[in-house]
Amino acid sequence: MINIIHNKILKVSTSIRDFFIFIGNISHFFYETLKCSVTGPFYLSRLMEQINHIGYGSISITIVIGLTMGLVMTLNFGYGLAKFGGTLYVPAVVSLSLAREMAPLFTSLLVAGRVGSGIAAELGAMNVTQQIDAIRALGTSPIRVLVVPRFWSLIISLPLLSALAFAVGIFGGLIVCKTEFDITPGFYLYKVFSTVKFHDYMSGLVKSGVFAGIITIFACYKGMRTKDGTKGVGLTTTWVVVAVSILILITDFFISKIFLVIW
Amino acid sequence: MNEVILELKNIEKSFGTHQIHKGINLTLHKGESLGLLGGSGTGKSVLLRSIIGLEQIDNGTISFKGIRIDHLSENALVPFRIKISYSFQNGALFDSINVFENIAYPLFEHTKLSYQEIKEKVAEMLKIIDLEGKEEIMPSDLSGGMQKRVGMARAMILDPEIILYDEPTAGLDPANTLNVVALMQKLKQKGLASIFVTHDIP
Repeated sequence: MINIIHNKILKVSTSIRDFFIFIGNISHFFYETLKCSVTGPFYLSRLMEQINHIGYGSISITIVIGLTMGLVMTLNFGYGLAKFGGTLYVPAVVSLSLAREMAPLFTSLLVAGRVGSGIAAELGAMNVTQQIDAIRALGTSPIRVLVVPRFWSLIISLPLLSALAFAVGIFGGLIVCKTEFDITPGFYLYKVFSTVKFHDYMSGLVKSGVFAGIITIFACYKGMRTKDGTKGVGLTTTWVVVAVSILILITDFFISKIFLVIW
Repeated sequence: MNEVILELKNIEKSFGTHQIHKGINLTLHKGESLGLLGGSGTGKSVLLRSIIGLEQIDNGTISFKGIRIDHLSENALVPFRIKISYSFQNGALFDSINVFENIAYPLFEHTKLSYQEIKEKVAEMLKIIDLEGKEEIMPSDLSGGMQKRVGMARAMILDPEIILYDEPTAGLDPANTLNVVALMQKLKQKGLASIFVTHDIP
């Protein structure tokens, strides 16, 4: 009996220790990424390449998700509010939800799946084939060469993609408002621009930037520590998508809270 | 006897409870070639990786020309990684860029040569490894032997003083083995010191 309790305590304490080691390592990894960003050579061509791959490559799927969000949300809010005679409030509710929450959150979750998994798989494959060791052996830093361009490309791209999702979502809302609820485009757009304030846009942009950092740091960190061949690459990819998605949702709550308190 | 350029003293290395190295001493002189022989899993590659700082040793010292290089930070190791290069067992070529970009990578990173000068240097290196005109080919389109030779070319493009070969002839057919051995001999004649790990004893 004592042995069983002892083993349980040991297991729990090991898990807690491993968790704190992980937090320490990933914080150090983030610090190194920032340090490499401000010191030494910066690979502008690699940054452009990554913006093209990560940002430009995500445009089509962002448009699809933005439009779907706008259409579905407007439809649901419209019929819901119509019961209370509040159809005219639909543009305000939809635009505010899109700007503050839905556009940055859904775009980030989508990018976490598309880009986060891609980064983790790419770096994971590079690690198991010793390419990351080769970068080090040739006297260069894998963080500088691989992580920094990906980190900044997503920090730049994700807020822009969120803005695109917002704009397309607003357009989707306009279509539904016109066809389903007889709200004129002029009134719809007037309500949108008079409701959504500067800090609402900022809230969405800041969230996107923070989520971009979470996606790249976790994906690069896990990718560069992948072991056990192709099986390890698969496990890393799955871990990154799940962990990053959960972290994005948790972080979203705290950033929302901070913005509501500040403004 | 030529000057000592690499010295390992009492190297110890363990992975968990499994001790790989226990009190290893080794001295490499300028222009000298040393071979490390032994069964699989005995830590030959780990020793090479420790020399270049890809693995941390637990105890002992590694000195390059009298300067201790064990336990140096990644940044502090850079000048030594230019002087001591490592030829990976499978080439470890960057698979998203072509042969030219792979071989030119250290030149772009560590020299101020113009693009034209780099192009000429890479062409010269490709001639040495008998792969002239293969600049545009992607690593995945090369045979195992060719990948190894490109990896060796990348390792020696900065004119290092020591080259560490990890299983340079493993998995190659006899013709490719001869090509790689001939290349190693060429480099030795140029005065390059080397340590090689191998199972193949001719």
